[in-house]
Amino acid sequence: MSREGQKLDSAAGAGGVGIGVLSLDLLGQVLDRLREPRDRKACRLVSRAFERAEAAHRRALRVLRREPLPRLLRSFPALERLDLSACASLDDGSLAAAVAGAGGGLAGLRRVCLARASGVGWRGLEALVAACPRLEAVDLSHCVGAGDREAAAVAAAAGLRELRLDKCLAVTDMGLAKVAVGCPRLEKLSVKWCREISDIGIDLLAKKCPELRSLNISYLKVGNESLRSISTLEKLEELAMVGCSCIDDEGLELLSKGSDSLQSVDVSRCDHVTYQGLASLIDGRKFLQKLHAADCLHEIGQRFLSKLATLKETLTVLKLDGLGVSDSLLQAIGEGCNHLVEIGLSKCSGVTDEGISSLVARCSDLRTINLTCCNFITNNALHSIADNCKMLECLRLESCSLINDKGIKQIATCCPNLKEIDLTDCGVNDAALEYLAKCSELRILKLGLCSSISDKGIAFISSNCGKLVELDLYRCNSITDDGLAALANGCKKIKLLNLCYCNKITDSGLGHLGSLEELTNLELRCLVRITCIGISSIAIGCKSLIELDLKRCYSVDDAGLGALARNAFNLRQLTISYCQVTGLGLCHLLSSLRCLQDIKMVHLSWVSIEGFEMALRAACGRLKKLKILTGLKTVLSPELLQMLQACGCRIRWVNKPLVYKDC
Amino acid sequence: MASAGSGDEKAATVTLISSDNEHFEVPEAVATLSQTIRHMIEDGCTDGGVPLPNVTGRILAKVLEYCNKHAAASDKDELEKFDKAFVDIDDQATLFDLVMAANYLDIRGMLDLTCQTIADMIKGKSVEEIRETFNIKNDFTPEEEAEIRRENQWAFDD
Repeated sequence: MSREGQKLDSAAGAGGVGIGVLSLDLLGQVLDRLREPRDRKACRLVSRAFERAEAAHRRALRVLRREPLPRLLRSFPALERLDLSACASLDDGSLAAAVAGAGGGLAGLRRVCLARASGVGWRGLEALVAACPRLEAVDLSHCVGAGDREAAAVAAAAGLRELRLDKCLAVTDMGLAKVAVGCPRLEKLSVKWCREISDIGIDLLAKKCPELRSLNISYLKVGNESLRSISTLEKLEELAMVGCSCIDDEGLELLSKGSDSLQSVDVSRCDHVTYQGLASLIDGRKFLQKLHAADCLHEIGQRFLSKLATLKETLTVLKLDGLGVSDSLLQAIGEGCNHLVEIGLSKCSGVTDEGISSLVARCSDLRTINLTCCNFITNNALHSIADNCKMLECLRLESCSLINDKGIKQIATCCPNLKEIDLTDCGVNDAALEYLAKCSELRILKLGLCSSISDKGIAFISSNCGKLVELDLYRCNSITDDGLAALANGCKKIKLLNLCYCNKITDSGLGHLGSLEELTNLELRCLVRITCIGISSIAIGCKSLIELDLKRCYSVDDAGLGALARNAFNLRQLTISYCQVTGLGLCHLLSSLRCLQDIKMVHLSWVSIEGFEMALRAACGRLKKLKILTGLKTVLSPELLQMLQACGCRIRWVNKPLVYKDC
Repeated sequence: MASAGSGDEKAATVTLISSDNEHFEVPEAVATLSQTIRHMIEDGCTDGGVPLPNVTGRILAKVLEYCNKHAAASDKDELEKFDKAFVDIDDQATLFDLVMAANYLDIRGMLDLTCQTIADMIKGKSVEEIRETFNIKNDFTPEEEAEIRRENQWAFDD
């Protein structure tokens, strides 16, 4: 028992010595504290004890393929969160079988994500709900075929607290009723886009689910009566009704009679809502923090402003995109709500430097400022922002072409927390990037259409912005391979990269990108010089690649796609329109990439009809989205088209002319 | 300066007995950082001392160092500094002993601290490096290892 001063040297490593003294549970508790998935995966390979401990303690799992699903569910008995949204070709049968075979292993499962798992239906859901007594949250969003039977299956989970049915187009009042009656403890529900739902369904929901805290009825055809029902929900904190064109000021008036619990309201795109209705709604709300009214208001009257001022202490987010504003209005907003953290003025006409100055002078807590398309603002506005908003994290300036590097200098110097900046179409140059390089916290940088950006600018960014995750260089056509070399060296955490139309890039540049192991989304449209050599480097090196766009990469042929087929195992979305692929290459690609769910292949002029038939048959069970030339509709066999649709694939027929362009 | 009074002026103590028979007299307020000992005190079975057959005297001394500091101090920065120094140990075996003691004695803060320390030793390392750090032998067959590698890459994400 005594370990007096024993130093660990060359112990045999068999259980009982060194870290082996820790029980499986204690070792598992150590592994629980590893945040990075890579670390957990590394531990699985260290030794049998480590593997057992990791498996016994693993709480979250995102499965990529259908075949190992049963074994995985058996191996991880402590699972609480299961994500099957990326599980290629998952269908009812396999889900039901996997769940049945897991024994008691799913007893702790609380959250399941089946977003876009269009192959799953009520049988699979019934099996899942039956096997998971602790199920609290289910996400079925974008399972477009899901309807009332699926809703009924989920309704059997009596303890359900969160449910997402976004875009489950076939769900009607009947399905909603089943959920409402079966899940009285429901707290969060989204039925966005479920346009078969009417006021009747919402009324029953409000009666049966008094615990509702968050409700999303965006784009439904419901009217004011629904708001009357919703006003009875005493705990409702969040209400989103984007695009509900049957709702008007009267409805908001009804809603305002409800309890005071509302914290966040979204009436964006509600055509018939005016500032009067909003004024009634916010009258007396003691807890309202977020107000989204983008693209719905045409004007703002004094009544609204005075009610807005009553929210002075609590309002933190205000979105008024699309509204015509004035300097005095912005001043009034600044005076009325000086605790604002986020302001949205995208596409608002009438935004001037003076207006911005008076707004930010009183709102020093601002962290997110959206001035997309406010194209009259100049560096002066940026100066005011820099002077007042030291906590700034996100600044959107798309199309504000009057600003330049001097304004950016101020922002970069005074706002060290800057994480996201959108300078698309602003015409900034390398000098601006030299200043932005100071912002070491930068995560998202958008420079689309800034054609004066060159490798020099990229070098500046790469030298200090090591946390960069997203970089958009759309049409920054002065970028060359050297820029990519710098990027690969300095920004190793990049996940999203857009290099469309940067047509100076060659295989050598892609070779550098091959070292970016975290890269998930790569857009390379119209890079006419890249060939299979460059594609190989990407396919082999970018191990996390999920989405790739190669439209108009005219020199990419079967060899290039072959490299993808052999290496890009986790690729889910691919665009190869205009590539030089033949039927054989296409077939090989579609049969090898087992995770591929979404493919755009318009104008593959070298592929014959037989080639398309074979290739599409090979991928039949897995494809969910297909974009292809209209001309093929009459030529492909009806049997194939039926099969594709039966397996949940949505086909977009496109009628674009064949046009070659290289920039 | 002690005055006679109805209550005890001297704080209640409890005696902890290590596996190698070392006795430690400890104020209850300190000892009760351990939920295990706290339950024993509440159940009234601490007369004659509490035997802790799973903890040696050397380790128990260290545990009490932790408890003394955390029972007394209130300053967050001070505690952070102490914690950092507390786990700055060359000897891995001691660290593992502390994990086990914290678990056995149910001292939440110390368990978090020691487990996190070991986790930090694993963070960011490759498989080989982890094995080297803890002197672990690879007991997988080549087939088993290959299977796990395949699963890691193809079967799931996190």
